[in-house]
Amino acid sequence: MKSEARESYLLIAPLMLLLLVFILYPVLANVYLSFFKWKGLGKATFIGFANYRTMFKDETFWVSIKNTMVLLLYIPLGVMLPILISALLREGLKGWSIFRAIIYIPNILGYVIMGMISSIMFRKLGPLNNVLVGVGLKSLALDWLSIPKLTLNTLGLVYGVWLRLGFGCIFFLAAMSSIDESLYDAAKIDGALWWRTFWNVTVPSIRFSIEFWVVLSFIEILARAFPFIYTFSRGGPGFATFTLEYGIYNEGFVAFNMGYASTWASVLFVVCAVIACFQVALMRKNSDVQ
Amino acid sequence: MYGVLGIFALMALYPLFFVLITSLKSPAEYVSNKLLMPQSPTFGNFYHVWVKGNMLRYFVNSCILIPSGLVVYLFVCITAGFAFGRLRFPHRFPLFLAVLFLMIFPQMLLSIQIFQICRKLHLVNSYLGLILVWVAYFGPFGTYIMTTYYATVPMEIVESARLDGTGVYRMLYYIMVPIAKPMIIIIVVIGTQSMWNELPFSLLLLQTEQLRTITQGLGMLQGQYGLDDTTLSASILSASLVPLLLFVFFQRQITMGSYSGAVKG
Repeated sequence: MKSEARESYLLIAPLMLLLLVFILYPVLANVYLSFFKWKGLGKATFIGFANYRTMFKDETFWVSIKNTMVLLLYIPLGVMLPILISALLREGLKGWSIFRAIIYIPNILGYVIMGMISSIMFRKLGPLNNVLVGVGLKSLALDWLSIPKLTLNTLGLVYGVWLRLGFGCIFFLAAMSSIDESLYDAAKIDGALWWRTFWNVTVPSIRFSIEFWVVLSFIEILARAFPFIYTFSRGGPGFATFTLEYGIYNEGFVAFNMGYASTWASVLFVVCAVIACFQVALMRKNSDVQ
Repeated sequence: MYGVLGIFALMALYPLFFVLITSLKSPAEYVSNKLLMPQSPTFGNFYHVWVKGNMLRYFVNSCILIPSGLVVYLFVCITAGFAFGRLRFPHRFPLFLAVLFLMIFPQMLLSIQIFQICRKLHLVNSYLGLILVWVAYFGPFGTYIMTTYYATVPMEIVESARLDGTGVYRMLYYIMVPIAKPMIIIIVVIGTQSMWNELPFSLLLLQTEQLRTITQGLGMLQGQYGLDDTTLSASILSASLVPLLLFVFFQRQITMGSYSGAVKG
C-alpha cells in the first residue's frame, strides 16, 4: 500500500505544483508585498502600513468598494429571475429545449465578446436608443455609457442579471427535474395556487441549488467581472465602473504601483477567502468524495 | 407565459443577430441604417479585419495555443482526478479541499505576482507560460469534475485490476481513461471555452503583436479611436465562431457540464 501513496502523490504532483507556483504563492506574496513600496522592477522598500493608510484615504478605493456593493445588490434579481423562468418552463412547456439553447447563447460567447457587444448596443447612437426613439420613448434614449450612475446600474443589470440568465435556467431546471412530482400533485389536491406551490414546494426543494447560485453570483461579481468591465466600459466613465478587481489592474498595470496594487489585492483576497470557504462547503455537500 | 419567454429569448438572441447584420453593412450605411437588414450586404468589414487587420493571425494563434493547452489540461485533470477520486493516500481529503479553495481567486489578484514569476522563469511572451498559468487556473474545476466522476466508479474495478497485477499507471491508461470518456468530453468543452474566452492572463503574458490570441486581440480593440462599429462587429463575429460551433456540436455536454459542478473557471 505504500506504493499506492507514492504513486498517488506522483499523479497529483503536476496539479499541486502548478497551484503552488501560480496560485498559492501569488496569493501569499501579495499580502507580503502590500507592506512595500515597489514599482514592479528593482528593489522594494519596506514601508509598514503606509500603503494601507494611503488606501483608506484613497477616494478611488472607496468608490470601488461602493461600486462593488451596488453590483452585489443585483444578486437577488439575478437569483429570482432564473428560478421563476425555470419554474414556468418546468410545467411541460413545449419547445423548451430550443428556448433553453437560445437563452444560453450569451454564456457561450464569454465575457469579452459579450462586453464588446453590450458596449455597441448601449452607445448613444447605438441600436438600443434607435429602438427607443423609434417607438416614441425618446426621453428614455439616454447616453448610457457617459452618465456614471447609469453606466454602473446598466452594468449591474447586464452583467449581474441578464448575462447569466441562461446558465441559471439550465442550472435550476436540472435541480427542479429531481423534485418528487407527488409533492406537486399533493399541492394540487389541496387547491394551492401556482404562487403558493412555487414558494412552498419548488423553492424549498431546490434550496441547495439556490445557495450554490448565490455563492456563484458573489464569485462572478467579485472575482470574474474584469474581462466584462474592461470591454464594456473600461472602468469608466471616470471611475464609475471601477471595482476592487479593476482597481488592481489600474494601480498595478496602468500606474505601475505594484506594492500599492498588492494592498488592494489583499483586501480582495480576504473577501474572496470568505466566499471560497462557503463554496468549498457547498461543493463538499455536492460530491460523493469523502 | 410564452410571451415572457419569447422576450427573454429575443434578448439573448438579438445582440448576436444585430452584430451579424451590422458586420455586413458598410460604415456609411450603418450611420443611417442601424436596425434594418443591410441594403447592400458587403464582406468589406471581414476583408478589413482578416486580411488588412490581424484577426487571421490571432485566430491561427488561438487555434495553435488552445489545443496545446488542452493536452496539458487533460493530463493534469485526469491524473489528479483519478488519484483524488479513487486512490487512497494520506492527507487526500485536505489536499482536495485545498484545490477547491484555490479555484476562485480573481485573475487580477494573482496577476501581479504571476507576471513576476513568469519574468523570472523567462515565460513572458511564451505560449508555454500562458498554458501553465491557464492550467493552474482552470485545472481545479476540471479536476473537481473528474474527481466527482471517479468517486462513482465501483471500487471493485480498481481492486480486480490490482489482483491481476495491473499497476496504477497502466490501470489509469487502459481502464480509467476509456471509461471516463463522456466526462473527458465535457471537460474538453469546458476547457476550450474557458481558454478561448480568457483575457487577463493573455493581456499580461502575450505582449507582442504576433503572439496575441483572438479574444485578446478583440478586447484590445475596445476604446480605440476611429474604429467603426461595423468593423468591430466583424471582429466580434470572427471571435465568436469557435464558441458558437462548439455550442452547436456539444450542446448536451455544455449543459451537462454547467450543472455537474456549477462553477466556471
